[in-house]
Amino acid sequence: MRQAILEAFILIVAAIILGVAYTFITKQGFFAKTQPIHSAAASNIEMIPFAMAKDIFESNKALFIDSRHEFDYQSGHIRGAVNIALKMFDTHLTRLNKIPKDKLLIVYCDGAECNSSIEMAVKLIESGFTNVKVFFGGWQEWNSAKLPVEK
Amino acid sequence: MKSFLSNTILIFLVRIFLGGLFVVAGLDKITDTQAFANSVLQYKVVGPTLAMCTATILPSLELLCGLSLIIGFYPRSCELLMTIMLIGFTILVASALIRGLDISCGCFTQDPNTSKIGYQKILENCGLIVLSVWLLFGQNQDINLFQFFRKQPDKSIT
Repeated sequence: MRQAILEAFILIVAAIILGVAYTFITKQGFFAKTQPIHSAAASNIEMIPFAMAKDIFESNKALFIDSRHEFDYQSGHIRGAVNIALKMFDTHLTRLNKIPKDKLLIVYCDGAECNSSIEMAVKLIESGFTNVKVFFGGWQEWNSAKLPVEK
Repeated sequence: MKSFLSNTILIFLVRIFLGGLFVVAGLDKITDTQAFANSVLQYKVVGPTLAMCTATILPSLELLCGLSLIIGFYPRSCELLMTIMLIGFTILVASALIRGLDISCGCFTQDPNTSKIGYQKILENCGLIVLSVWLLFGQNQDINLFQFFRKQPDKSIT
């Protein structure tokens, strides 16, 4: 059994080297450009792909929240989306509290390179909203697909 | 019964089955590290950093153990690690069920809408634990893939 423990240790070390090398080469995990996991609370948030975001938009059942800066929002945003910049979250709380807590909220920011949508979703959940999803592809994916936008 | 349990072919088949399961599980997890880290986070036992560490190492360990067990390289250590992993997974699933978490297992697929945890998963894991413990404490540790298919010497010539 002592031999088995020694060999198991070798396998564990090999797995660590293999895992780190693989994630480094494929730019995943710790080596990913963006890290979808922002905090423990973020684990409760559902990331939705572009197709689902489009379906939800067309069904008109959700409120889209743009978490980018006001300047970016003014330059163009998903049609009907409201702008609540992450830094201005607290000032918008009164406005947000008028929305039913079970309303489906789709939060987005610029795209895969930003994390403010996740941070915003965490704040929304902490404020009592129960149906919050993140459209991780964000503005870039939406705009490049030529879907309805407004300025 | 004892001779049945120490049957070379049976042990070899169980090794292929158990090793294959770990290879399949490891392959699914290794292809999307982020998704697996999210699955780990859902259990609400570790934080994001530790979840990412787990997602980096565990799939490789599953793959290595699975492949090693199939080819018969370090078999006893693979069986030891598999037993530890399976016990760990079972405890995690049981604790999640006790805490009332409605989450997907993250065992063979990272799709959040499939493979929800349940008592069936615990039973499955218990069955796998029995197999791995049996292999671990079995006698025929010298069997490996190459020996198994090697032509046996003709013992009739003396």
